Amino acid sequence: MENDQKEKDTGMESLFAEWTKSATDLWGNMARMQTGVFWPFAPSDTGKGSGQKTQKAWESSGKIVEALAKMFTDPENLDSFWQSYQGGIDSLPEFFMKMTRQSWDGYMDLQTRWAERAAKMGQTTKAYNFDDIDQETFTLFREIYEKEIQKFLNVPQLGLNRFYQERMAKAVDKHNIYQAALGEFLYMFYIPIEKTSGVMQEKVGELIENGEISDNFKDYYNMWIKILEGHYMTLLQSPEYTRVMNNTINALVNYRKARDEVLYDILQKLPIPTNKDMDELYKDFYLLKKKVRELSAKLEKLTE
Amino acid sequence: MSQPKIAVDLILKKLTETTEDAKDRVRKASEVMLGPLETDLSTTPYEVVYQEDRVSLKYYSPREVRQKTPLLVIYALINRETMLDLQPGRSVVQNFLDEGIEVYMVDWGYPTRKDQFTTIDDHVNVYINDIVDVIRDRHQVPKVNIMGICMGGAFSVMFSALHPEKVKNLITTVTPTNFDTDKGLLHIWMKSTDASLMGKCYGNMPGDVMNLGFLLLNPARLILDKYVGFFENMHNKGFVENFIRMEKWIFDSPDVPAATFRQFIDDCYKKNLLIQSKLELGGRRVDLKNITMPLLNFYGQYDHLVPPDACDQLTKMVGSTDTEDICLKTGHIGIYVSSRCQKEFAPKIVKWLREREGDGNGDGVPKKKAGASDGPSAGKTGKKKGRSVPKTKQNPKTGKSASSANKGMKADAPASPATQA
Repeated sequence: MENDQKEKDTGMESLFAEWTKSATDLWGNMARMQTGVFWPFAPSDTGKGSGQKTQKAWESSGKIVEALAKMFTDPENLDSFWQSYQGGIDSLPEFFMKMTRQSWDGYMDLQTRWAERAAKMGQTTKAYNFDDIDQETFTLFREIYEKEIQKFLNVPQLGLNRFYQERMAKAVDKHNIYQAALGEFLYMFYIPIEKTSGVMQEKVGELIENGEISDNFKDYYNMWIKILEGHYMTLLQSPEYTRVMNNTINALVNYRKARDEVLYDILQKLPIPTNKDMDELYKDFYLLKKKVRELSAKLEKLTE
Repeated sequence: MSQPKIAVDLILKKLTETTEDAKDRVRKASEVMLGPLETDLSTTPYEVVYQEDRVSLKYYSPREVRQKTPLLVIYALINRETMLDLQPGRSVVQNFLDEGIEVYMVDWGYPTRKDQFTTIDDHVNVYINDIVDVIRDRHQVPKVNIMGICMGGAFSVMFSALHPEKVKNLITTVTPTNFDTDKGLLHIWMKSTDASLMGKCYGNMPGDVMNLGFLLLNPARLILDKYVGFFENMHNKGFVENFIRMEKWIFDSPDVPAATFRQFIDDCYKKNLLIQSKLELGGRRVDLKNITMPLLNFYGQYDHLVPPDACDQLTKMVGSTDTEDICLKTGHIGIYVSSRCQKEFAPKIVKWLREREGDGNGDGVPKKKAGASDGPSAGKTGKKKGRSVPKTKQNPKTGKSASSANKGMKADAPASPATQA
């Protein structure tokens, strides 16, 4: 059993060593080719050309990787590594399963809840009543977005471009939030149409039942628009609508601000003044005018 | 045999008739829409006599001056003052001119990003104050009559409280002064949303966004039914002309300077400072008790933008003993454009002003013929900031000139659909 394991290990070692060697050779050859093909004016055979330097760099980094691989694939070192997982290399799938199970379970849970609530969307709500609108679908979307997606956009950025990348990620994030808010707003705006259709079906049904059906189509349109207006009036006065409208406005404002920040980054590379630059100028101009006006008034008083 | 519940034959007959009728209407409508249409607004001749930054002052001269004190009309920053001169036969301005009143009207222009820091204080204590001084100087009068409309009415109230020595009579029309009411969606929304954020992110509060907000006040009627009505009447040239005119006016909405918008929402809609005499402009308190001049207050019973509750407190709060409230059975715009109100609104104002002109009969000034372009003391604008400007201005949205040429349009067209606004 131990021997089998060692054979496996030896096989893996040679495979990895082979790969490291071929990778180093490949890039080393590429670097050698560069001296003659990609940069014909570079000094050759002097040992000081850029191609030579690159080749040497590749060879030395290849050697480091080779040494690391050798160390890693050394049967004794591997033994200690695999022992920590008791089952040896055969237990690798279980190891990955353990790693992914937790996040997968969480995702499945959210998906199930989302599907359950999305199914409720089609359920009819009472006419002229906007208190029990099923907003959970949108709430759940926000939850999923915040838990599963947003965090990737909020990963701290590194390096020279970190601020630019951060602003770009923020713009994408705000755009997603705005789209979600707008979706909710538009959905809410559609509800009166849905409710009106329901009421109209009932009314027309009653008319048919009573034999009072009109031969003038305008009568039905007038009835429909009146019911629709009534539904909208109820909706627009509801606190729920105000809340959704407010959310949408805030999301729009935040998105535009974030988008503008990205645009400023792009524009500052071009000889174009940004709104930000101009706003500062306008403010100075406004304050200066105000000052001049005050001073003129004082001067006028003094000369009177 | 029992009687059928649904008369299918009648329905089918009606359907055939309707189809025939629709075909005929479409044919006529295409002739109307492709033919020449008279849809210009603001056709009464005027002269721009003063300009400061984006703000200009229009002067309308009557054929015969019969009132010594001129009338300054201060419109809102939302939409444009052209509503008062929509078309011949429906022109408040023309009605005043016919009665011999010299009319000045503030044109707030189209604010740009440059104007985003302009506050209510700047509008009231700088622009309106300078304009009033120009008129006083041109006419050699100590005081002028002021008529304010909607938000412009609120500005007029503020100005009259801060500069009562310059105002002879004050007329407020559909003017919100009490914002502590839940009647009208605008009041509900403004209190519970942070609409001023929009101004912050756009530089100014975009007119198009505000217009969208107004459409959402009654989407069934203003987004759907209105245009169904239009398609039904497209074969009627007069209706189409009126409709297009109103569309032009409604959607010609300048942006509102961000600082002014924010202050109006915060200090008026949210804190309701104006009616409590707690509003401060330029470090001075706007005390309504300072309004000691006669006050005439108009509002619309069915106004859903500025409901009666928002207007009818003012006369009780001012210092004047000569006040009058008039509630007309109409909406926010109907006061100025509906045929019925044309017969009540301007004539009442003219009569009211005459009674308070000071010389008893109001005809105490020598009658003079005044040309369309030579106002009183023309060229004697006096103020340091004033400057002469061309007679016509261009609308940056439409690119068209607000021509002063009178095209003599028909006035017998059907009632405008936008009176619902």
